[in-house]
Amino acid sequence: MSVSLIDVSTYLPGEPIPADYYAQFAESDDLRDNVMFKAPKFRHHVGEDETTIDMVERAAAGLIERHGHDTIAGVDILITHAQMADVPFYGGGGGMAHRLGMKPNWVLDLHNGGCAAFVLGLKVARNLIESGEGRTALIAVAQNAAGQIFDQPGVRRKAQASVPGDGAAVGLVTLSDESPILDIECRTYGEYAGDMTLSVDPPRKWWQPGPGEGSIGFTESKITKVLARGNRQVPEVSYAVCDRIGVKPKDLDLLVTNQPNRAFLRNWRQALELPKERHRDTFEDCGNLFAAGIPVNLDRAITEGQLKRGDVVMMSAFAHAGDFAGAAAVRWGGRG
Amino acid sequence: MSLPALEDITAEIDGVIRVETFPREKATPIIMEMMRSVYPHDEVFGTYCTVNDYVDCPPDELYEWLSDTRCLEEWTYSLRGFEETEEPGLWVAYDKLGGDTGSPIYTRTVANPDSRTIDYHCAWDQGKHLWMIYLMRIIDAQLVFDKPGSVVLWTNCHHPFYDKNPYPETAPPKRPVWVGDFWDMFGAGHLLELKNLKAIAEYRHHNGLTVKPDWMK
Repeated sequence: MSVSLIDVSTYLPGEPIPADYYAQFAESDDLRDNVMFKAPKFRHHVGEDETTIDMVERAAAGLIERHGHDTIAGVDILITHAQMADVPFYGGGGGMAHRLGMKPNWVLDLHNGGCAAFVLGLKVARNLIESGEGRTALIAVAQNAAGQIFDQPGVRRKAQASVPGDGAAVGLVTLSDESPILDIECRTYGEYAGDMTLSVDPPRKWWQPGPGEGSIGFTESKITKVLARGNRQVPEVSYAVCDRIGVKPKDLDLLVTNQPNRAFLRNWRQALELPKERHRDTFEDCGNLFAAGIPVNLDRAITEGQLKRGDVVMMSAFAHAGDFAGAAAVRWGGRG
Repeated sequence: MSLPALEDITAEIDGVIRVETFPREKATPIIMEMMRSVYPHDEVFGTYCTVNDYVDCPPDELYEWLSDTRCLEEWTYSLRGFEETEEPGLWVAYDKLGGDTGSPIYTRTVANPDSRTIDYHCAWDQGKHLWMIYLMRIIDAQLVFDKPGSVVLWTNCHHPFYDKNPYPETAPPKRPVWVGDFWDMFGAGHLLELKNLKAIAEYRHHNGLTVKPDWMK
């Protein structure tokens, strides 16, 4: 028996926020014309009092509708990833399990997966299920940085603030042959872990009292390095999976990736020799969805009939400044 | 005081990107637009075919070997039977890629020991117009990699004669191929030959042999 990704459902908070929102705050910013930071037309922002638990609950509504509440309540393995934990000390895994009415044997919070967390979650889910630790896993990812850290009064004046968008997604993984996970490749590049920084001016640790807004990002000198790493890593992990499953990249039916900016989207599909029509993204509507990018794009492709039963979909992404990358291929079996 | 750079030109020249007119915030997006995951083969190897490698042997010894035309008998894939013609410095051999019997290939090596440049001026079939030019340069790896050894840079330019034989009357009758038919594989083919060069030179150096063999001295 295989392990299958049988369904995904997603949630985008609130009404779309147009690029104009940022124009009122914009300051002259050297990076505004940079292809890495060119604003998408729209993005969503998490509500002011909305938690990652709320987001995951709302994302799960689609799964509950299609598979019944008992299926979700009966999940053995809950794997979560929140871009910004509601409370850094303990994360949101326990609270999400409780909200969804689960009593899972396993609750794992994958902070390191970053934009590739859904792929990492698939790998953990598959391996746990294969080892007999459960029959059903739920992967829950919540990206909530756009309406929070990127919407601080000082940060939202910067060009980079308009690129992120918030969203959440859940994926249901079960022991079945319906939509088999064909293979997964995850690679950690720990040497780049420190290249994404949370900087505060004047400097302080994130938990220390003091003035100045915390800002996530790279220095301009690191931007080209991050671009070069992303350019390399996503095709590399995708090719690794393609080699093992015996499918040429250009024969993939669908590619969904994280979507940090337009440059990466173009470069990755060129590297995999895929036309734009087979690389589904939601960048213009949703911006950079971080870890939610893969499942949101996959959900769109399924809902709109782009991904058909029997198609092979490749999901690939890299995280942060290039400290992690992953790719997973699934032969889609339809929504049943 | 700054130098009067470009003072003779009053117009703004299209395509010139200098910090005065393109400060970093303008230049960086241009650079990033140019950075890709992959580059089409033709963009990389279409007009200029460049291959490079590091070779673990002293640069002057490598130069001594490579500046002797007969070294091509050793490290090339298919050039064999070098003999000097009546014209001093002009050698003829057979390129075994050129049909059943091979094609005559003429070579004159122009080398400069100070810059360690070695240019093989070659042509198939005739020795009057040597238009296939293999431009090589050996660099002391100590300077560029901070370690002993040599770096070999090798470039060919896509001369129009690769696409059309200018001297068909000199070709052997009924030869099925022309050297330019292979241009698209030069990137791979030259790299293969550069690996030959590296393996042979390193073997000799590591085994106490001179890089230029006795038979060539």
